[in-house]
Amino acid sequence: MAKPGKGTITVTINGSAAMGSEGMTLLELARQSGIEIPTLCHHEELSAIGSCRICVVEVEGARTLVASCHTPIAPGMVIQTHSEKVLAARRMITELLLASHPDSCLVCDKANRCQLRHVATDLEAAQPQVRGRKRCYPIEDVSPYIKRDLSKCVLCRRCVAACREMAGQNVLHMAYRGFNSKVVVDTDRPLDKEVCRDCDICVNVCPTGALSLVEESGSKKKGKPLFIKG
Amino acid sequence: MPEANIVLKNCGVIDPARLDSYLAEGGFEALEKASGAMTPAEVVAEVKASGLRGRGGAGFPVGLKWGFTRQAPAEIKYVICNADEGEVGTFKDRYILEGDPFGLIEAMAIAGYAVGAGRGFIYLRAEYHFLKDKLAGAITQAKEKGLLGGFEIEIYEGAGAYVCGEEMALMESLEGKRGEVRYKPPFPPSRGLWGQPTVINNVETLMSIPRIIKNGAGWFTAIGTEKSKGSKVFSVSGDVGKPGVYELEMGSPLRELVEDLAQAQDTKAVQMGGATGRLLPGAMLDTSLDFENVLGAGSVIVYNSSRDMVDIVHRNLEFLAEESCGKCAPCREGTQLMVVVFKRILAGKAKERDIEFLKELATTMSLTSLCGLGQAAPSTLLDSLSHFEDAYRARMKDIAGAVT
Ligand SMILES: Cc1cc2nc3c(=O)[nH]c(=O)nc-3n(C[C@H](O)[C@H](O)[C@H](O)COP(=O)(O)O)c2cc1C
Ligand code: SF4
Ligand code: FES
Repeated sequence: MAKPGKGTITVTINGSAAMGSEGMTLLELARQSGIEIPTLCHHEELSAIGSCRICVVEVEGARTLVASCHTPIAPGMVIQTHSEKVLAARRMITELLLASHPDSCLVCDKANRCQLRHVATDLEAAQPQVRGRKRCYPIEDVSPYIKRDLSKCVLCRRCVAACREMAGQNVLHMAYRGFNSKVVVDTDRPLDKEVCRDCDICVNVCPTGALSLVEESGSKKKGKPLFIKG
Repeated sequence: MPEANIVLKNCGVIDPARLDSYLAEGGFEALEKASGAMTPAEVVAEVKASGLRGRGGAGFPVGLKWGFTRQAPAEIKYVICNADEGEVGTFKDRYILEGDPFGLIEAMAIAGYAVGAGRGFIYLRAEYHFLKDKLAGAITQAKEKGLLGGFEIEIYEGAGAYVCGEEMALMESLEGKRGEVRYKPPFPPSRGLWGQPTVINNVETLMSIPRIIKNGAGWFTAIGTEKSKGSKVFSVSGDVGKPGVYELEMGSPLRELVEDLAQAQDTKAVQMGGATGRLLPGAMLDTSLDFENVLGAGSVIVYNSSRDMVDIVHRNLEFLAEESCGKCAPCREGTQLMVVVFKRILAGKAKERDIEFLKELATTMSLTSLCGLGQAAPSTLLDSLSHFEDAYRARMKDIAGAVT
């Protein structure tokens, strides 16, 4: 734990006092204190995105829950990271993401490396109670290196940020609106050799099976084992 | 209470194309007073003392916002007038822009002086393109007369998205990007347009400023209720005899607006504040119009007994699903799923658990969405479930017990 000094902020997290430095996010402080908060759009090497809302926590006095990955700590904050209210919200958001996600987990190459499945397993979120619309796009395999299966995209936008911030390119963008939002190349054309240097940075940050290397299919299924909590 | 005449004082009185007619009504005296006889800090203090709150929907104290922006350490600051007026059933800003463009310009210049901003933008709703030349003409006339003291005002036209009325999405759009919400904090007074401290206010909010500066905060606080000072301009539409724009003192009863002025009869429900607003049953017409009770952006849509509330809520949800920017998961997926469930209700196929699910979904959307759209998207749904359960029951067989 950081020593008290200039720029040190003290907060209460799940009933215990914790100290962090100015500019630190709630998520960073929680992790430093050994508290695990699930995330989906957050990536340590990328600037905050704030799109998935899985990382919400309860802050006393706030009108809504707040996303821990982009909210800076402030002196005297009283934070609950695993209250019933928080867990119910995280579970519902996960269910929403599963509702529009294809039911193809059993045959998906991402298998037990899928972060959506990790989050769902961890939260004990099941199939949604109500049937919704699925997101359906044809698989894009024009590029000899990168395969895009956007039906599996959870719209976290990590790939967009990674292309811009890590690869220094701007190949990927958001297009359309609402439920039809989509990560596109150019004016929504297939990803091909012309525009993409296939550095595969986007593939590495994708939490689901939406982006994969063509050669990878079926060959790499190592990952965290899934377990069902009793 | 009689109709008020504060914000709309000049509408229909002056010739909006001629600066001299505005000057003849005492125009630009407030700016002269502010920049001549008051320090910027005094202007902010006066606005704070007036208790003026934002008219764009959220009701945030204007003086506080200006104070934060004034104190933010930065060379460059901006003032934005939110003229996106996208809320369903609002047309009061349009009436103001058409009738009193100089008043808005004067108010923006006062805001610029108060917070230390040299540049202002009017973010004009795409559908109000026909007002652009009129506004630009007003700016040019005021500038040529040297009335703005170097304060620059530009007009920026939106592209037709509802969410771009939300302040963060508006700034993204103004910066030339995709109109999508940014997370907060940082808030605009510390980091707004192009990362600089920014004051953003609704058209109607700004219109009260010159009056407050000229007549003093004490004059303004005498009007309205304890927590809602001044007047409010309403756009009334729907099943009424006389739809239109009405200005009333804060705290007036809804009945006066809907029945006496707009001449509604047989009112079943009133939708206050548009698609993300509240749905009040006819029995609640004595509610007073203020921030303490119900206000929103001033959109008042009246429904008579021939209307079906399930249809109305369905239309609201369809609208919001269409207009969701799609950035955050709860709103993007939630609005869509609500529409799907409503389709089932309309087809007579809904089950009790669908209603329970809608309520749980509503809670999560309100608690976790990134902006006001997703947070308030379920509000007409929840109101309809508490006030018009019969409408749902009529559509479903086994709903008994689900609706409270
Ligand atoms: C989805 C959404 C749409 C909005 N649309 C408008 C709008 O059209 N006009 C407006 O003035 N404020 C709108 N707002 C409110 C603005 O975000 C902001 O609160 C307002 O411009 C602040 O000005 P005020 O304090 O003067 O009300 C909207 C908010 C949301 C969440
Ligand atoms: S609440 Fe809706 S409109 Fe607002 S940021 Fe989220 S997706 Fe966009
Ligand atoms: S991890 Fe914080 S919003 Fe996605």
